[in-house]
Amino acid sequence: MTRLRRSFGAPLAALIVLLTGIWVLGLIAAPQVIMIEQSLWKMDRPAGADELSVQIDRLYNRLDMLALDRAAARTLSTPSATDAKLAQIDAERAAVAAEIADLETRESTPVRTWTLTNYAQMGQAHLRIFAKTILAALAVTAIAFAVCYPIAFAIAKLEPPRRAALIMLALVIPYAINELLRVFAWQMILNYGGPLNAALGLLGIGPVPFLESGSGVFVAMVYAYILFMVFPLYNVLETLDMNQIEAARDLGAKTWQIHRRIVLPHARPGIAVGCIMTFMLSAGSYSVPYIMTRGTAAPWFAQLVYNRFFQASDWNVGAAYAVSLLAVCTGFVFLMMRLLKVRLRDIAK
Amino acid sequence: MTRTGSGLLLRIYMGVFFLYMFLPLAIMVAAGFNDYSPPSVTVWKGFTLHWFTELWQDRRMWSGLANSVLIAGAVIALALPMGLAGALLLGRLGSRAAGVLYTAMVSPLLTPGIILGISTVIFWRGLDVSAGLFTAILAQTTFIASYTMLMFMARLQRQDGALEEAALDLGATPFQAFRRITLPFLRPTILTAAVIAFLQSFENYNTTMFAIGGEHTLVTEIGSRMRFGLSPAINALGILFILATVAFALAWAALKAHERRAAEQAT
Repeated sequence: MTRLRRSFGAPLAALIVLLTGIWVLGLIAAPQVIMIEQSLWKMDRPAGADELSVQIDRLYNRLDMLALDRAAARTLSTPSATDAKLAQIDAERAAVAAEIADLETRESTPVRTWTLTNYAQMGQAHLRIFAKTILAALAVTAIAFAVCYPIAFAIAKLEPPRRAALIMLALVIPYAINELLRVFAWQMILNYGGPLNAALGLLGIGPVPFLESGSGVFVAMVYAYILFMVFPLYNVLETLDMNQIEAARDLGAKTWQIHRRIVLPHARPGIAVGCIMTFMLSAGSYSVPYIMTRGTAAPWFAQLVYNRFFQASDWNVGAAYAVSLLAVCTGFVFLMMRLLKVRLRDIAK
Repeated sequence: MTRTGSGLLLRIYMGVFFLYMFLPLAIMVAAGFNDYSPPSVTVWKGFTLHWFTELWQDRRMWSGLANSVLIAGAVIALALPMGLAGALLLGRLGSRAAGVLYTAMVSPLLTPGIILGISTVIFWRGLDVSAGLFTAILAQTTFIASYTMLMFMARLQRQDGALEEAALDLGATPFQAFRRITLPFLRPTILTAAVIAFLQSFENYNTTMFAIGGEHTLVTEIGSRMRFGLSPAINALGILFILATVAFALAWAALKAHERRAAEQAT
């Protein structure tokens, strides 16, 4: 802190701390904490609600009795005795009515109960969708890596630098184009009357309901997120010294040995970034299933989360769903960092 | 396998990959010029620009565009100062504290966008603020500030500390040194960070969709139109997006080349 004040002066230092604080605590931490908190409780009938309702019934009976007493009091001998008795009964009636009102609000006001049942709400069907989404995200990640590794290596190490820069510039275009457009292109291709079914028709196959069966989601996901693997891989492979490969080759290493012993270890940070991004984007994708299923195929997990909040209006269960997804993605980040022995500092460059 | 043999194989593989990347986009572009609705390339009814005029007359697209620009402007105004403050603070902390702070500041980039969106809405709902443009701005700022922070951090690491110290030795106040030396040094990064923040905000779908409630941006509106793919006006808009992206990529490459030449001349 003293260092900060010395370098910027007290007012500027305070502003810096304030802005960072608003961002890190107010925008990043607090919403996550509140979301987790929300997932851990639900509104329930208060404890002892049954006893309360018995008590309330008893009080209503008492109120009826008092009404009878009041009718009886009218026949008392002296007017003064009647007035005194009536006043006494009315006072008691008011007291009982007030008590009833109090107990009724206590009975009908739900209380916050801490519970894990929101997480158990998922049930078989939703759990299966959760598993499907995570497995699909893993598969997208694996396919993206298998497809992109040779591409990134070829561009970074086998092309002359000027050509490599041009190729990467060309790839920036599909990479930077809005995700929705990439998905929509595949919706058109896989559509019932789309070009792919037209081509299959020439071969006498189909038409195949790609969109209605849900398989289109996976195809579009691979296409939409595959380039998030190419760029990190290219960036690390570009820094690999070609002399290392040449030396290994001169010493008699085979191609696969060169990759296993030299190129892949060097590429670890890029592999980590590529896998984390691809997995995270696929697992949390709302756009791809939203556009590719058109509501005809079974929903994906991001859609379930959306529906919990905005259609079922069950915010506690929705929060539990969102936290489950967050937990899996965080777990994946740690797993990748552990497996590939990279730290966060190496990652975000 | 000989080296030229495997090289040829790689070439073919790369060609197929490029075809895979560009052919779907080409199909979408073609349907935008086809005089046939719903968007199709299998039924060709001739070239038309009709879908562009239909798009031009679409009121909801224009209001979405206005919202998008409004949100992006607010995000720039928030994410740039926050990212810069974070990067400046990071450089003045001990290594352990810096490590913790750094992890917190990049964590939004590793979090699914829908989580950022929905957690912001939950948080503000507790304060009786319902979802709308405001929550969309905050949810986007959460992760866009991470990008600007990383950009400022990279730039600050290349700063020559001697200049600042010389200014302080010559009697400048720390604030004057910051304003006269650090800020001008950061100016190119401020510009590029603003452009990146604008694009990230403008193009964002998943976070915005979960944070924006009943409002809409251009991109969330495109999303809901695409689901049923009824009119090629969406393809026309896609063509405009592609043109903008190409222009942006070329400008970016030219800027990079310019910077590289300037750096070479400086050395």
